[in-house]
Amino acid sequence: MIGLEHYIVVGTVLFVLGVLGIFLNRKNVIVILMAIELILLAVNINLVAFSSFLHDLTGQIFAMFVLTVAAGEAAIGLAILVIYFRGRGTIAVDSVDRLKG
Amino acid sequence: MEFAQSLRLILPEEILSIGGLVLLLAAAWLGDKASRAISIASVALLVAAAAVTVPTLSGGAMGPDTQAFLGQFRADAFAAYAKLLIYVSGAAALMIAPRFFEQFRAMRAEYPVLLVFAVLGTGIMVSAGDLMTLYIGLEMNSLAAYVLASFLRVDNRSAEAGLKYFVLGALASGILLYGMSLTYGFTGTTSFAGIHAALTGQLSTGALFGVILVLAGLAFKISAVPFHMWTPDVYEGAPTPVTMFFSTAPKVAAIALTMRVALEAFGNQADAWRQVVVFAALASIVVGALGAIGQSNIKRLLAYSSINNVGFILVGLATATQAGASAMLVYLAIYVMMSIGSFVAVLMLRDAESNQIESIASMAGLSRTRPLLGWCLLVMMLSLAGIPPLFGFWGKLVVFRAAVDADMIALATLAIVGSVISAYYYLMVCKTMFFDEPADQVKGASDWAHWALLLIATLFNSPLGYLLTGWFDNLAGKASAALFLAA
Amino acid sequence: MHPILIIVFAPLAAAIIGGLGNKALGSTVVKSITTGALFLSCALSWPIFLGFLGESYTPTVVPVLQWVQSGSLSFDWALRVDTLTAVMLVVITTVSALVHLYSWGYMDEDPDQPRFFAYLSLFTFAMLMLVTADNLVQMFFGWEGVGLASYLLIGFWFRKPSANKAAIKAFVVNRVGDLGFMLGIFGTYLVFGTVSIPEILAAAPGMAGSTIGFLGYRVDTMDVLCILLFIGAMGKSAQLGLHTWLPDAMEGPTPVSALIHAATMVTAGVFMVCRLSPMFETAPIALMFVTFIGAATCLFAATVGTTQWDIKRVIAYSTCSQLGYMFFAAGVGAYNAAMFHLFTHAFFKALLFLGAGSVIHAMHHEQDMRYYGGLRKRIPLTFWAMMAGTLAITGVGIYEVGGFAGYHSKDAILEVSWARGTEISHFAFWLGAFAALLTSFYSWRLIFLTFFGKPRWAESEHIQHAVHDAHGHADSEHDNPPAQEDAGHDVAHHVPHSDHGDGTAGYHPHESPLTMLIPLGVLSLGAVFAGYLFNPQFLNSEGFWKGAIFFNENLMHAMHAVPLWVKLTATVVMLIGFGIAWLGYIRDTGMPERAARQLGPVYSFLFNKWYFDELYHFLFVRPAFWLGRKFWKVGDQGIIDRFGPDGAARVVALGSVGNTRVQSGYLTTYALWMLVGVVGAITWVLF
Repeated sequence: MIGLEHYIVVGTVLFVLGVLGIFLNRKNVIVILMAIELILLAVNINLVAFSSFLHDLTGQIFAMFVLTVAAGEAAIGLAILVIYFRGRGTIAVDSVDRLKG
Repeated sequence: MEFAQSLRLILPEEILSIGGLVLLLAAAWLGDKASRAISIASVALLVAAAAVTVPTLSGGAMGPDTQAFLGQFRADAFAAYAKLLIYVSGAAALMIAPRFFEQFRAMRAEYPVLLVFAVLGTGIMVSAGDLMTLYIGLEMNSLAAYVLASFLRVDNRSAEAGLKYFVLGALASGILLYGMSLTYGFTGTTSFAGIHAALTGQLSTGALFGVILVLAGLAFKISAVPFHMWTPDVYEGAPTPVTMFFSTAPKVAAIALTMRVALEAFGNQADAWRQVVVFAALASIVVGALGAIGQSNIKRLLAYSSINNVGFILVGLATATQAGASAMLVYLAIYVMMSIGSFVAVLMLRDAESNQIESIASMAGLSRTRPLLGWCLLVMMLSLAGIPPLFGFWGKLVVFRAAVDADMIALATLAIVGSVISAYYYLMVCKTMFFDEPADQVKGASDWAHWALLLIATLFNSPLGYLLTGWFDNLAGKASAALFLAA
Repeated sequence: MHPILIIVFAPLAAAIIGGLGNKALGSTVVKSITTGALFLSCALSWPIFLGFLGESYTPTVVPVLQWVQSGSLSFDWALRVDTLTAVMLVVITTVSALVHLYSWGYMDEDPDQPRFFAYLSLFTFAMLMLVTADNLVQMFFGWEGVGLASYLLIGFWFRKPSANKAAIKAFVVNRVGDLGFMLGIFGTYLVFGTVSIPEILAAAPGMAGSTIGFLGYRVDTMDVLCILLFIGAMGKSAQLGLHTWLPDAMEGPTPVSALIHAATMVTAGVFMVCRLSPMFETAPIALMFVTFIGAATCLFAATVGTTQWDIKRVIAYSTCSQLGYMFFAAGVGAYNAAMFHLFTHAFFKALLFLGAGSVIHAMHHEQDMRYYGGLRKRIPLTFWAMMAGTLAITGVGIYEVGGFAGYHSKDAILEVSWARGTEISHFAFWLGAFAALLTSFYSWRLIFLTFFGKPRWAESEHIQHAVHDAHGHADSEHDNPPAQEDAGHDVAHHVPHSDHGDGTAGYHPHESPLTMLIPLGVLSLGAVFAGYLFNPQFLNSEGFWKGAIFFNENLMHAMHAVPLWVKLTATVVMLIGFGIAWLGYIRDTGMPERAARQLGPVYSFLFNKWYFDELYHFLFVRPAFWLGRKFWKVGDQGIIDRFGPDGAARVVALGSVGNTRVQSGYLTTYALWMLVGVVGAITWVLF
């Protein structure tokens, strides 16, 4: 029987993968966008699992909101990336270091 | 609670959201030619929203009557206090923008619309009574802010600022969301009141993860150490009016939201988070001060200064008392005026070719070449340093007094030591302006809106500000009372 | 309004107006205001003094304002006017007014005259505050006030390093005395519970013989208090041990030397002892100490005075010596004799200083007597004024008839010390008598070197400069070129030869202007008549003093009954001194040099002022410098600065660099730090 713990573990693994994806990744900003989606996915799994476990719809509604926002966020992220690429001609993560100190 | 009653309570948000949508359509149809008109209309929207918010604050609204949508939204005096500061910041960011963007031929009609939505998001944040409302407000603000940060497309730094802000902001909201999901899972509810009731006694490990992750996510928004690292880069790279907005409205909202979450939702677990807040406060003060020393860019210096100021505000939060909350609100108001004043002054530094001047070295001898500007900046710097008799001193004083009254004398002492370190770089700027040989680079004229805002902020921060102390104490007292009624 | 208020506060008002107005008012206006204020004070002081003299004036206390009210400590700002005050009032205001007038001429070319006159008036105010004090704290205020004014005036030419050094030396040495004075005041308050002088004096006899714990010993209360207070007086009055600042103080302008370092401030110690005389009378050991120090100073300063070349230094040591007379007079219980000598001394010593100033003025700021000579004919008025002063200080007079000022006062002191009849008083008598011989010698030596003989000006650099300037400005009609071939000649140990023409180097000294001669004339009158006129009242009349000092009737009777040889001693030693001086400096001018060579070590010992400066330098100055340097290098720089400001600044700088390094600009770093924050927070809260 798959219980709540399993969902939580999956969610946690996904979350940690997403976080690691952000700062272990040295190549490409697109990968970072994907890692962020992974984090949001982990959150959604958590929310839905808890919702089901608690017999409470709030979590599922929350998950809908997260999905919506995630879509908007991805769109804006890509838009900014396009602007960045136009100016700099690259989207390598290591290139994003003009501002520092 | 009837639906109609709820709709009446969210009147400022209705004004801003419907108005914002109308302006968005107008912007789409009329194009960039109408950007000035749309800016003026946006300011009008903010004024209208502020006008309907004022009675809430002056009436000291609190309690169940202020809760809309089954407690998901709070329209109490606390929210009203924060919203008024936010509307002032938003209006200032709108007023100074056209002149700024026009010199790059980059003024677009979307700017005021985005700003209105960012303000709307921050307004929802401070009114949140539920994790979901919190999230919606936060993202509404953030999504608009990411775009605003990269608004100056001709400037590569602007795009980089937007990208950094976006990536780190998304990570932070991911952490926040994960914390929320854990909190929801371990308390069974997303409403602050429910969480407050559920989190009593010994904290379970899962809930503890939830609390810390939520606070970490919020710490990013208020740029507390160690979640501050985006701040200098984004403040430097973003267009100056946007930087001014970032350093005020979202910061006010995030701090107010943190207060609500920490003191209301997690109010029963103050002992669990107090140590973390104390550390963040001191670390922010120290890192803000150390980082600012050695900066050559005035915007970057002000970014570190804002980190430093957040540290002082968090000192108030660490007390977890109503006096501390009231002191934080007073400090916030003064901080907003200091930020507006100093960024507007920075905006007015232009050379003969109308390019923005951001290096501190170029400000040498400003007191002789542009005396009024120099003196206004002097007032801002000394006020930020908290040197009496300027009004910035009052903010620090009330916060430290709250800390001492809460028996956190060691914290207050360390914070004062930190403020001594921070005085160094403010005084360096003053020294450059007043005693160095004039670099004679600042030439460009400024329009009336800049001067008006700068002079108002200067007067506010001058010793005349002390005339307002009674008024501020009264309003901050009402607001913190509303906050603590629920807690 | 009581006139004393005007007397005291007119100089203060003048000092404030002059000091603040300074260049804005211009020197003539400031000079007029300050001098006018002083003459006003002087004109109001004499009626008070004459009133006491005619025994028609009663002592009074004029309240000014409430000052301190703190627990049991309570005192007012009040001006006390009694005989003692009245004597000091006329001395201070008269000499000060004349010095103000004299300075018009003497300081004529100085660009900072307003400042000078404001300081002079400020000094006068402080001195008046001291002598009118009704309580010890007010006296201390005046005491420090005159110290400040003295410091400012010694260092008036602050661009001259030697003047700055002398000013600091005067200040520091006086601090040592002031510490004693302060301890004395504290102790008095501790013992008597009040600082009011009348109350203390009334209670003092009851305290005689009581003991107090001091430095771990049980000692006689009154002795300790009086010795502490006297240490203050030693500093201010330049008594042996704390005298080293006075000769150096001659770096100040000469009018300052006349006013502060001869007539008034240095006598403050004598005044204080007299003011507190009923207290000192209860302290026999303290009185012995006072007598001993006074007599020793008297002799010491006189011996040094015989060997000095600088005209002002000779007079400075003379002052020191005369102050010694005053102190041992007080020590043997003849406070009235001490005050009488203070009174007459003020006139003739101010006269001598102002006369010396006139000589210096005439000789273009040359102060070395070796380069004087033959000035009698050139500046006759100054000569006669100096003669009057010298006759007064040496005590020329005829038994049973009368004489110059010093004859009456100094002889009275010698007689009374014999009459006292104790061992210490006889000791003082013999020292005083020998010192009187030396006084006569060095005073006449000064006169002979300066005014008699042939001119020896040619080798003076000052004179050479003056002649050079004259040549440079206009074609000179003189044939004598300045004697330059001797410029590199070592002049320190040789009396210069006067074989260059007539020794004048073509320089013509001019008599001083009228503003300088009038004070000389007035003071000459004082030097001639002050002793004769006021002798009866000061020495014999209880009705004159009216309890202002401790008046020992029996002692005064005994004084008149001393053997004839005692009465004649002073006159005889005066004549001997005159004879030696005449022999050495008129008859056979080579003799002093031969004597000096023969006496070798003794001469060097005296010439180098008993090596006091060298001894102090070795004992106090060098260790103090060593200690100071240690504190500076090790304590201040090594510890406080290193771990304090400098260390903090270095840590801050390091922190700043560290922060810059962390803020690398890379997204991944920022994300990593956020994660570190989260993990750290969770770890902290969990464990």
